[in-house]
Amino acid sequence: MTPTICTTALSRHYRGQTALDNVSLSVEPGTVTGLLGRNGAGKTTLMRIITGQEFPTSGDVRVFGQVPAENDAVLRRLVFVREEQAYPDLSVAQVIRVASWFYPDWDGELARQLVADFELPTGRRVRKLSRGMRSAVGIVIGLAAHAELTLFDEPYAGLDAVARQLFYDRLLADFAAHPRTVVLSTHLIDEVADLLERVILLDHGRVLLDAPADDVRGTAVTVSGAATAVDEFVAGYPVWHRQRLGSRAAVTMPGPLDEAAQARARTLRLSLEPLSLQQLLVRASGGFTDEKVSA
Amino acid sequence: MNTLLHIARYHLVDRMTYLVLPWAAMLFSFLVNLVIAGLVPSAPNGYYTGGVVTLYCFLFAGGVLSMSRSLSFGLMLGVSRRVYYLGTSLMVLVLGVVYGLGLTALQAIERATGGWGMDVNFFRVPWILDGPWYLTWLTSFVLLVVCFLYGMWYGLVYRRWGLPGLAGFLAAQVLAGLVAVIAVTLAHSWHAFGHFFGTTLTLPSLLAVLAVVAALLGLGGFTTLRRVTI
Repeated sequence: MTPTICTTALSRHYRGQTALDNVSLSVEPGTVTGLLGRNGAGKTTLMRIITGQEFPTSGDVRVFGQVPAENDAVLRRLVFVREEQAYPDLSVAQVIRVASWFYPDWDGELARQLVADFELPTGRRVRKLSRGMRSAVGIVIGLAAHAELTLFDEPYAGLDAVARQLFYDRLLADFAAHPRTVVLSTHLIDEVADLLERVILLDHGRVLLDAPADDVRGTAVTVSGAATAVDEFVAGYPVWHRQRLGSRAAVTMPGPLDEAAQARARTLRLSLEPLSLQQLLVRASGGFTDEKVSA
Repeated sequence: MNTLLHIARYHLVDRMTYLVLPWAAMLFSFLVNLVIAGLVPSAPNGYYTGGVVTLYCFLFAGGVLSMSRSLSFGLMLGVSRRVYYLGTSLMVLVLGVVYGLGLTALQAIERATGGWGMDVNFFRVPWILDGPWYLTWLTSFVLLVVCFLYGMWYGLVYRRWGLPGLAGFLAAQVLAGLVAVIAVTLAHSWHAFGHFFGTTLTLPSLLAVLAVVAALLGLGGFTTLRRVTI
């Protein structure tokens, strides 16, 4: 099957700065992919190139098997909701109405439901809305469009936790009823961890990790307890990170642990905790202060 | 084609910018001129205002906004730059036809009422918006389109290169004008120049020149838009 998105050696340089460096990846149809990374990692640039809003310096990008730039056959099948999307001087209702014209599969009922859920003031001008409310407008459009390829770039800037949860729930429910390809970039990794089937981690414009989310989870575990017991337990294992506080210690090590190791941890009265996706990615981005201690 | 219409409609949702303000401002200017004409002693050759230019200025502003303020949302909805530009141009053509017709009708009334009873020439502008009604209609149509396309180009240059780009764009036009002035001066052709614009280049042929200008502006704007990233 043709991947929905496929990039080959994609690079984008700005004056003296590399936004994307040799990015090769592919996104399969009908999946939810998380595009993760720190600020300035290149997430937005990548999405802008995928949607033809920006042009690559070198390399190749295909969406639905074709070059997306100025290609109406491709572009009309996607919607791209950006963080801080600039809106024309129209009311919420007008903006949503305009959006509905462009999508044959537009779900008006869902749009109405979402507007009610987010308590959007339909008569107010979008430009006058608060940051969170404006983000909600983007979410309404992105979900109700039912576009084959839906891209969300940090779609919930300024939204509170309740509204974010609403977005996740609606996204999941609507995705189940109308499968499509979703790419979601975010900083709030743990919040979306359960939504994602695949994670792509960008760092300084390069792909650091591209794997099914399930494979990533459980690839590391934190062992904590009495320092002596921890030291005894991890002896012979590679250690990623070690923390010590008085007589207690916590060590992060590659997982998953087999049955025997888990049993041994229980006898040593150690607690085992799988590293969350967020912590893993922080580590992968070099955010951990490494004490290269191998016991 | 459908998407073109959607883009045209998208702009027109903002009735204030494209429909209400241009006409309200021009009619306001018209009323002010009428009052003034009523106050001052009547001029021997009639009272000429040129106030109709207000409408053209607002269309220029509309052109700027259509490419600066409204572009981003259009592209969010999976529209290519080409379709966005063509859809916007389609709206301009329709506006030009309708507004041109409106101006022509007002000019006809002006003529029929002897300049609103006060020899006021607001909608009749000698040399350019003059002559038979269909020429007035055609000329105002082309002029409106020229103004809007010109504004679109400004909006795009601003979008792509910001304020420095706008300054450069303007400077380039001033320089081009300067070169023309120098060339005419060096050739001692100011007399011929005046003759050309005063006599040779009058209405039907002037219309053709304006149409070419419109085409060039469209081409320039479109070429710029292809390089705009958002």
